[in-house]
Order: sequence, then structure tokens, then C-alpha cells
Amino acid sequence: MESQVSWLDLFRLMSRIRHFEQTAFELYTAGKLPGFLHLSIGQEATSVGACTALSADDFMASTHRGHGDTIAKGVSVESAMIELFGGATGACHAKGGSMHIADFSQGILGANGIIGAGIPITVGAALSAKQRKSGQVALCFFGDGATGIGPLHEGMNMAMLWKLPVIFVRQNNHYAESTPRHEYQGIPDVVRWAEGYGMPAIKVDGNDVLAVHTAVAQAVARGRRGEGPSFIDSETYRWYGHNIGDPGTGRPKEEVEMWKARDPIARFRRVIIEHNVASGADLDTIDNEEKARMQAAAVMAEKEPKPPLSAALDDVYFDRELGSRAIQGVRV
Amino acid sequence: MSEITYREAIRDAQREELERDPTVFLIGEDLRDPWGGAYKTTQNISNVLGNDRVINTPIAEESIVGAALGAALTGMRPVAELQYLDFVMRAMDSVVNQVAKVRYMSGGQAKVPLVIRAQGGGGKASAAQHGNSLEAWLCHVPGLFVAMPATPYDAKGLLKTAIRMDDPVFFIEHKMLYMTKGDVPDGDYTIPFGVADIKRTGDDVTLVATSRMVLYALEAAAELEKQGISAEVIDPRTLVPLDEAAILESVHKTNRLVVVNEGVERCGWAAEVTAMVQKCAFSDLDAPIERVCSLNVPLPFQPDLERYVLPSVADIVRAARLTMGKV
Repeated sequence: MESQVSWLDLFRLMSRIRHFEQTAFELYTAGKLPGFLHLSIGQEATSVGACTALSADDFMASTHRGHGDTIAKGVSVESAMIELFGGATGACHAKGGSMHIADFSQGILGANGIIGAGIPITVGAALSAKQRKSGQVALCFFGDGATGIGPLHEGMNMAMLWKLPVIFVRQNNHYAESTPRHEYQGIPDVVRWAEGYGMPAIKVDGNDVLAVHTAVAQAVARGRRGEGPSFIDSETYRWYGHNIGDPGTGRPKEEVEMWKARDPIARFRRVIIEHNVASGADLDTIDNEEKARMQAAAVMAEKEPKPPLSAALDDVYFDRELGSRAIQGVRV
Repeated sequence: MSEITYREAIRDAQREELERDPTVFLIGEDLRDPWGGAYKTTQNISNVLGNDRVINTPIAEESIVGAALGAALTGMRPVAELQYLDFVMRAMDSVVNQVAKVRYMSGGQAKVPLVIRAQGGGGKASAAQHGNSLEAWLCHVPGLFVAMPATPYDAKGLLKTAIRMDDPVFFIEHKMLYMTKGDVPDGDYTIPFGVADIKRTGDDVTLVATSRMVLYALEAAAELEKQGISAEVIDPRTLVPLDEAAILESVHKTNRLVVVNEGVERCGWAAEVTAMVQKCAFSDLDAPIERVCSLNVPLPFQPDLERYVLPSVADIVRAARLTMGKV
């Protein structure tokens, strides 16, 4: 299938994610961000290639390592940056933080702190799309860690059973937190698992944004035709450890260097220039614009006011009156 | 009015809501006809309304609830059934980390019109993995409402309310109540959450009881009356939110309180009510508050042992007498 997506848009999105996360890394190490930080640097092609194959009203659920996925699906980097700082106007009003960015207006059902938890939610969103005959599809990202968890298998079975428009995208970055694949996975290739459930399953070079985009676009089309779920094993690598607290030193240095040499952004840059789609100078301009945007976002986000303490009691329940009673009980 | 069983009340509420609102659907194990649910609470629904509205699932509780959540977040109004309340343990991440928290963690973006139904409780010699009363666990989770009806009237009215709400509701039925009968109005009606029902008025001691224990408390009240003690029986009907005012008003009148709940006593629901009443009505109390709950052991299989572990009518009578200074 020939891709209709603009290569420069893909490049810009990958650059945006890279600068967002590098900025977040610097802010975190400077002690300015509370909580956890799980970076997906190195995985941008998978996030961007997949999400740009979706329509704005399609659904997507992500993981604790969800900055790239959520930005690729459309959350504004400014509201995400404010969320990282815990600002009141952040994407989740300072209730979610780095691991839980959600933007329902963009079909983002949430990054999720629990491994694999987004999978059944995505299956349900696809079930809903089918029931409502809306033509929407639902894509779930999950990492290596989720291959060991029950809901992945439950979700593949349900999606196949009900012929749901689910796109399972494994962000195959070789590690479950710090544990290498041969210590958590019984067979080397999980594509065979997906095939076992009866759905088309392919491996793609997850550092090739066009390859990911094409694979996901085919899965989306299949889903929209009512032909059921697809599984994409997108092989990539995260440059950093599991989180900021993990320096990633358990991994062979040569392995990290090899994958850095396969930087998906530098690689796509070469492709764009080779195909005369844009010049290096054009791409530098895009990259500098995204870098400047992120620096401005960080300055702005740091100044955003934090929520009042009373905000801790907001948004537990939709029904404000019953919710208030549930939260407060009686006070005498 | 018509006299129907508790089972029929649950079934009718679901069928009427399915007919009223095309976004409502049922999802769970064994729901479709001819089986119609392990406790027949969905019987003759798929036959009439079709399999699109009643979805049979693999036995996969975490994903049943997770998928119901995904549908609730995207425009549907699912009613998910867990065949036994005990099986919520298999679904606990979906219930607690996902369903109950997604609205909060998204800063109020998400709306979760989802009902999770399950039946709990002992009395059927089902041993320790099919007879738990886990309402205290669910009440402990911010973001959930918890309903626990004792009568057909309450079951139907509360379930209809739950299905129409835009918050997640955990709806706990009792396996020993399904055959009990009661009058319900013939037309559509709902019962608001957070409003207790005084099942019997009395002056000497207040019995606050939940689910099947409401029927036990009423039996105990009848026995106490023979002994010259007038007991008031209050069923909160929803545990979250709780109608504290109704309980406090009754205690203000009777000055004595027994809290009856089938869950094990330790860290149980009765402890929460006890804490609330001693804080809010300490000066009203003429005696220490008594709790009547299950013993702090797993539920044994053998029927005599099971009866010994579960609260009994005699236990309630004894506790009420204790608050009256009578041993």
C-alpha cells in the first residue's frame, strides 16, 4: 500500500518526540520534575509510523513509556510538558504525570502504569466501535514486558473471537525493564503466538518509520474492512535504561552503540535527502523549530501554577453530589 | 404491583434497560440463552434481544472488565457480570487500577458508565472460593460506587439507577437471595443511591445490616420483639455512598447499635460504620457498638461448619441483647 503521509510530517513528529524527551531528561536530572520518567528515545519511528496510520478519531492506548506514542497520536507537547511538572493545566490536570498521559479528544485512552492493562481496554474500544458501526479502529502499544502477562493473550483471543478492529503493536525493545528477552520469553519470536491465535502477524523494522507506517496502515485497513485484528512486532531499541533510576548499564555497551548507530531519525533524514524530498538544511530548520518549541514549552510549563490542594478531591466521580458524599462522608 | 423473585428483578432491570437504551449491553461468562447465566439472571434476554446485546466471553475476568471499560470509555454503557464475586480477584487490576481511577488520572476527561455485577456470600456449601463477601475491599476503592440490595424491589430499582449513572458501580447480589420474593411496581422506577431504607421501625436498638443479613436482622427483630426488645432495621442499600444520616438518626433514637455484615469481621465494613457512629454520635450511645460478622477464617465447605462461621439470626439476637445489658 502506498503511503499518503507527508515524509516531512513524519520527520517533524519524530524530532518533536526526541526533543520532548531529551528536554524532559534534562529537567528531571536537574531535579525539576517529580515522579518517574521512562524514556522511549530510540523508539520514535514505531510511535510515529503507527499513529500516523490512524485517523484522529481512532483509539490508542499506550504504556508507562508513553511520551512518544501520545505525542504521535496528538496530545499537545505543551500540555504534556505541563503535566510532567504537575501543573494545573496539564494534559491530566496534574493527576496523571509522565506515565499516564491521556487525551480523550485525540482518541488517546491513556498511557498506563500497569503492564498490559491497556490491551483489554483497547479490545473494548474496538468492540464499542463495532457495536456502534463507527468504522473506528483501536491500536494498543505494549512493550516486551507485556508478552508475559495474561491480558495480552486474553486480548488476542477476544479480538480474534469477535473479529475486532484491533491493531496489536509490540514495541519490541529487547528488554522487560532490565531483563533480557531470553530470560522472560519461551520462544524467540512472539509473532508465532499471534499467528497461533489466528491473526495476521508480521515483524517490521521498528526503526524504519515508513515500514512501520505501511504495516500499520494495512492493519488499519483490514480492521476497517471488518476482517479483524492484526499483530505487528516492531523491533526497536530504547537508548536509555528502564527509567531514570536505571542507567541501563546491564546492557552490553556494543549493543547500545549498535542501536544508536541505527537512530531512526538520522536514518529517515538520510532517506529524505536521498529521495530529494527536502535538503539537509530544510530538515535542520524543522529540527531547530521543534527544539525551540520544546525549550519554550519547558520554560512555560515550569511557570504554570500548581493546582490548589482542593483539586485532590476533584474528578473522582462524575456525579459531583454523590461523589462528594462518597469522598467526604459525614463531618461533625 | 407484582410479586417477583430477586432473580427476576435483576433480570427484568437489565432487559428493560437494554430495551430503553441501545448503548447498553451485557458482557460476561455464560450469559446467553439457553443457559442465561450461572444464576439465570440473564435468562430470556439474548433470546429476545439477540446475541449482539448479550456477549458471551472467554473465562478471562481481567479482560472482561477491561474490555467493558474500553467500551464504556468510547460511547457504550456495558453491564459486566462476574459469575462469582470471588472471581473479582482475577479482575482486580481492571477494577481498581483502571475502572475506578481512569477518570481521576485523566483529570476528569474520562466518563465511565459501567456496572459490574457479581453475586457473593455463603450458604450454599460452596467452600472458600465461591462464597466470599468482599464488599469491604470494593468500598475501600475510591472511584467506585457500591450497591448491595437485599430485596427484589431494591434490586430492580438500584440496578436501573446504576445502569443510568455515568460512574462505575459495583453491584453485589447474594446467591441465597435469588429465590426470595417481593413486590415491585409494574412500571419503570429507580431508587437513588445513598438513601437507606428502614425495613422495620423500633425504639430500643438499631440493627444496620446489608444484603442477606437484612433478612436475618428482620428475623432477629421478630425474635427480639417476643423478648420485649424493639429493634429498628436499617438497610443502607448502597454502601458507597452511605446514608450516614439515616443511621445516626436511628442511633439518636435507640442509643444502641449492632452492625451486621457477612464479610469477615477484621477490617470489615462493620468496622467502618462503627467508627463513623462512635465519632459522630458518641454521646448518643448507651452501650458499646456490637459487630456481627463472619469469623476471621476462610469459609469452610461442610454445612455445619459454614453455618458456624457465617453470622446467624441467633448471633444478632445475642448482640442486640448485649447492647441492652442482657446476656
